[in-house]
Amino acid sequence: MSDVPAIEFAGVSRWYGDTVAVADVSFAVGPGVTGLLGHNGAGKSTTLKLCAGFTSPSAGAVRIFGVEPRRNPSVYGRIGVVPDQSPPWPFLTAHEVVELVARLHRVADPGAAAARALDIVGLADVAGRKVGGYSHGMRQRVKLAQALAHDPDLLLLDEPLNGLDPAQRREIIAVLHRLGDEGRTVIVSSHVLHEVERMAPQVLVLVNGHLVAEGQTSAIRQLISERPRTIRVAAGGDGRPLAGALVDSGAVDAVRFEDGAVEFETADVDGFSRALPALARRTDTLIRRVEPVGDDLESVYAYLHERARGAGR
Amino acid sequence: MIIGPVYRLTLRALLLQRRTILLALLAAAPVVMALVYALAASADAHHFRFYSHLVQDLFIPTIAAVVALVIGVSAIGDEREDGTIYYLVATPQSRIGLIATKVAAAWTATLLLLVPSLVISALLILKGAADASSILWPVAGVALATLAYCGVAGWLSLRTRRPIVIGVLYILLWEGSIATFAASASKLSIAAYGRALVAERLPEAAAPVVGPAPAVVILIAAAAITCWLGARALVRVEL
Repeated sequence: MSDVPAIEFAGVSRWYGDTVAVADVSFAVGPGVTGLLGHNGAGKSTTLKLCAGFTSPSAGAVRIFGVEPRRNPSVYGRIGVVPDQSPPWPFLTAHEVVELVARLHRVADPGAAAARALDIVGLADVAGRKVGGYSHGMRQRVKLAQALAHDPDLLLLDEPLNGLDPAQRREIIAVLHRLGDEGRTVIVSSHVLHEVERMAPQVLVLVNGHLVAEGQTSAIRQLISERPRTIRVAAGGDGRPLAGALVDSGAVDAVRFEDGAVEFETADVDGFSRALPALARRTDTLIRRVEPVGDDLESVYAYLHERARGAGR
Repeated sequence: MIIGPVYRLTLRALLLQRRTILLALLAAAPVVMALVYALAASADAHHFRFYSHLVQDLFIPTIAAVVALVIGVSAIGDEREDGTIYYLVATPQSRIGLIATKVAAAWTATLLLLVPSLVISALLILKGAADASSILWPVAGVALATLAYCGVAGWLSLRTRRPIVIGVLYILLWEGSIATFAASASKLSIAAYGRALVAERLPEAAAPVVGPAPAVVILIAAAAITCWLGARALVRVEL
């Protein structure tokens, strides 16, 4: 097998007027499933469009199997693309769509290839129906089937689980795992962390166009779970005895009294969770409510972004 | 160079569009005019003169130009708009092949709408005086002019987000106004070269800018160059 990575970004930036979609991103992706994680507008789709040659970098270089895809159409014979928000031609049947794409990829028997790909995504029974009459989830699966029909070495999937029900998600995730196990390179974007965890052992995290983390998905998850958190506790009384006990225990780094509640900052959420009930009992404090503050995905991305900037990325 | 599956797909998409019905109605307008003329004209009227003016002053510069422009833009622009172009571009087909095929499909759809209208108009106006050359030269003029218009439309649909506006400005402002009184401007008018072919058999309208052979070469060259520019744009613009 060649040492050339399937995807290679070298200092890639892409901007539209004053808006920077991708900022000085460098990475290389090899065989297996890699997740591309980021909030909406983080630059995931632009990154995949750059991979697919649907747009050119404003700076830097994108190479797919060692070549620029836009200037070397022959490389598309090794690539399957599932674009976001682009349902296939509605007046064709699913079989016609997949067979057409297989034919354009010069597959020896496009009809058989289409039937096989539609079977993989679970649409064999309805392949004769027009795509315009399909549900959103079925169209997603047609898109995946057309990307699989020519047996590509590299799959670029932009939010492929959108619109699928849980059972369909499980099926498609199983297909992605199988493709990765076969030694293909699969890059799959999502804005949902637990979805990426289920799909991909490797992950690239984009925030505001910057690559802020990359590596094992489990390590990124660990990093995220260990980040400093703020926890708001609504307690009976003024909560000062409980706050003092928690500070003494070393489970919290800072305390703030806000609107009759206490906000604790901690880098050890597990330790805080264990200490809180015992110390509440000891200080005879009635706890009415415990809730995380700023624990949404945006704040997770913001944390990763800040951390990457601190590391000089 | 023509990619069969893409040609059939594009032609089908173009003919299934609702706007094609409107374009068919526009293309049929000369038939209505010819019918009115056939019913109202006296026996000693100069049928060839009316037919010549209809073809050279209305059919080629306005109706054929607009129909070819809209269909040519649709062939690529609609797929760019709805994202289906991704499925074609992400294949190992040559970029010039993809664009040439799209233009060829647009041209076919354009001719399917225009040629029957032109032939029926000729038969209604010329009646028994119609011969093969009085139909074939205008058909050739329309066919080659629309080939060039489709090429330009395809290229514009990749270069700009407002290809129809720019195309209509070219047809109305440049061809319809500036080129009619400035002889040098008519050298950059597709319609003028189309009319040059028609004038070979129907000389009653304006003097042709060139003879028929150079007109054929220029119109084919215009289509080829705009296809090449379109292929170049396909690897440069954001899809």
